[in-house]
Amino acid sequence: MFDLIVSKYNYWIYITLMMIGFYAMVGKKNLIKKVIGMNIFQTAIILFFVSTASKKGGTLPIIMHGHGAHAVNAASYINPLPHVLMLTAIVVMVSTLGVALAILIAIYRKYHTLEEDDILKFNK
Amino acid sequence: MMLQAPVLIVVIPLMFAFIAFILGLWKKGLCYPIVLIALSLSFLATLQTLNIVITSGTIHYRLGNWSPPWGIEYVIDYLNAFVLPVISFVALMVAIYSKKSIKKELPDKIVYFYCIFLLQVTGFLGIVVTGDMFNLYVFLEIASLSGYALITVGEDGAPFASFNYLIFGTIGACFYLLGVGYLYAATGSLNMADLAKLLPNLYGSKVILVGFSFFMVGLALKMALFPLHVWLPDAYTHAPSSVSALLAPLMTKVGAYVLIRVIYTVFKPYFSIEMLPATTILSWTAAAAIIFGAAMALAQTDLKRMLTYILVSEVGYLALGIGLGNRNGLTGAILHILNDAFMMLALFMVVGAIIYRYGGRRISQLRYLHKKMPFTIAVFVVAALSVIGIPPTCGFFSKWYLILGAINAHGWVFVAVLLVSSLLNAILFFRVIENVYLEPHDVDIVENHDMVVSVEEAPLTMLVPILITGAGLLSLGVLSGKIISTIIQFAIPAGF
Amino acid sequence: MRVLALITVIITGIILIYGTVDMPDWGDPNSPASLHVSPRYIEKTMEETATPNMVTSVLADYRGYDTLGETTVIFTAGISCILILRERRRRKKKKS
Repeated sequence: MFDLIVSKYNYWIYITLMMIGFYAMVGKKNLIKKVIGMNIFQTAIILFFVSTASKKGGTLPIIMHGHGAHAVNAASYINPLPHVLMLTAIVVMVSTLGVALAILIAIYRKYHTLEEDDILKFNK
Repeated sequence: MMLQAPVLIVVIPLMFAFIAFILGLWKKGLCYPIVLIALSLSFLATLQTLNIVITSGTIHYRLGNWSPPWGIEYVIDYLNAFVLPVISFVALMVAIYSKKSIKKELPDKIVYFYCIFLLQVTGFLGIVVTGDMFNLYVFLEIASLSGYALITVGEDGAPFASFNYLIFGTIGACFYLLGVGYLYAATGSLNMADLAKLLPNLYGSKVILVGFSFFMVGLALKMALFPLHVWLPDAYTHAPSSVSALLAPLMTKVGAYVLIRVIYTVFKPYFSIEMLPATTILSWTAAAAIIFGAAMALAQTDLKRMLTYILVSEVGYLALGIGLGNRNGLTGAILHILNDAFMMLALFMVVGAIIYRYGGRRISQLRYLHKKMPFTIAVFVVAALSVIGIPPTCGFFSKWYLILGAINAHGWVFVAVLLVSSLLNAILFFRVIENVYLEPHDVDIVENHDMVVSVEEAPLTMLVPILITGAGLLSLGVLSGKIISTIIQFAIPAGF
Repeated sequence: MRVLALITVIITGIILIYGTVDMPDWGDPNSPASLHVSPRYIEKTMEETATPNMVTSVLADYRGYDTLGETTVIFTAGISCILILRERRRRKKKKS
């Protein structure tokens, strides 16, 4: 049991963070809080992916003194692929945040409030 | 040029989106021809790809010439090659249709609208043509972001509906990304063909099981399958007419395509049918979606909102076909992708034409339209017959294969659900058609200032796509057998 | 409504944690993710791409198409913001 916690606690922390963000997205009524929750959720997914890339005893994925030819051992550098995927995911996250905030400005211009209950009452 | 056809399908609308933006800022009138040229070239590329697949088999196109799984690869087999022309044809029809309607609804944003239109189509085509899981996520986000923006510029209530769609859509995309993450942590690969080789050894692992469930839930959110459909009616009702006509036929079908890919290509079919009750849950949810969509549509007074609930019901047909897990059911589902795209396109374009001419969409306001817009209403009647499922329209054939599949799987409840939904659709549409063909009462004569009713059809750029789609509904029905024997029968994985 | 959201969130969290039981340990150099695709990226990056930074070589060379998609996402978000937020300026009518 203790082995399980020690070897997997990184995943559990990020899953807890994801669930905090997910709860804010679905459970809160204020639209800004939903957007903040979305940001937390996506950031936690990014951290989760990046944590699968680490290797014990590995260093950064950059070859120092690079242009001399020397043997490269795959086990001494951490895995670069999740980092690459997450660079793209960060860009997607920021773009979604931008479009979400633009939609919120459009909503505010029309209803002058950002509480979901008031907007639904307005529409009825 | 012939060899580059798979990548030209995606690259042409992308490049023309940039060109349309730059040239449009200089002269607004250039946008519309640029969009038409881009979508026509893309449609030709999809037809060429279909031709190559039929004559020489699956295409493997390596981007950057790196072999998979180290590089990204486009894999085009029969299923892909079948869905691609559908998407580009629908996009081309809506692009021709949108000229007058966008000029009326969004007069000062034409350039930006057409730029995002092309990016949206790029997103859809990119999702269908790729063979790499993470590439699919990137293009899914391109399509989703464009969708949120296109819906927001609609009428009253559109920004809030679009925000709701944004929250749900982002949850769906994030669940998909979590699924990809779990599969990557367990196998180390992102390529669909490579995963199909590596996964069968790991089917007992909890990681794969959880990854698969997150795929299912995320795709159900994007596809608007029954309990997770809540964003769809508001979003598509309040969007501009051209946007509803573009998104309604395509977004859900692309989601269904990704579902077929995940269940039948990445994971072997026996995983979802025998090891997990996944297809059982999917088919029961689909049955609930069919009945729920038809029942809610009966309660609507707004024509466009009624059509969105019919769309929820049609998604149920697709999911039922996928979930039945036998050859006939899957044939019905794949054929229904084509048929439903045409039906929804025709219905939403007709409603857009009615709104353009008369501004009203309540069913009770549609009196006397059969005299004023004869051709448009004729296409509406053909589309209605297709939704109900009456031969020789195309809707009959896909329903026929779904019923055959349900009988093969001994799912008598599903057969009953399919027949009852046809009945409900018939009641639904006859209510609308009766209103349209009725003579006006005395109350209405006071509102109509002239007793002589002139023919005020939709403008030509709107009428031509409507008529082409109507003709397509009839001819696709007649050609169904040929389509199935040349294309669909090879799209189904072997061993069924 | 909040109770329903809380229950959904807790169930999702439990399913996710249940899935991590079989995952590779944190920092395991023999995990499938470290053995399957990425050794080629690490070992061959100098000879195939002449770039000592492996993240750059994967981002711009091996998986360059994803980077094209990513820049398209930024462009889409920018044009979407213009589309959503632009308002026609109401010109004040000249008094005459």
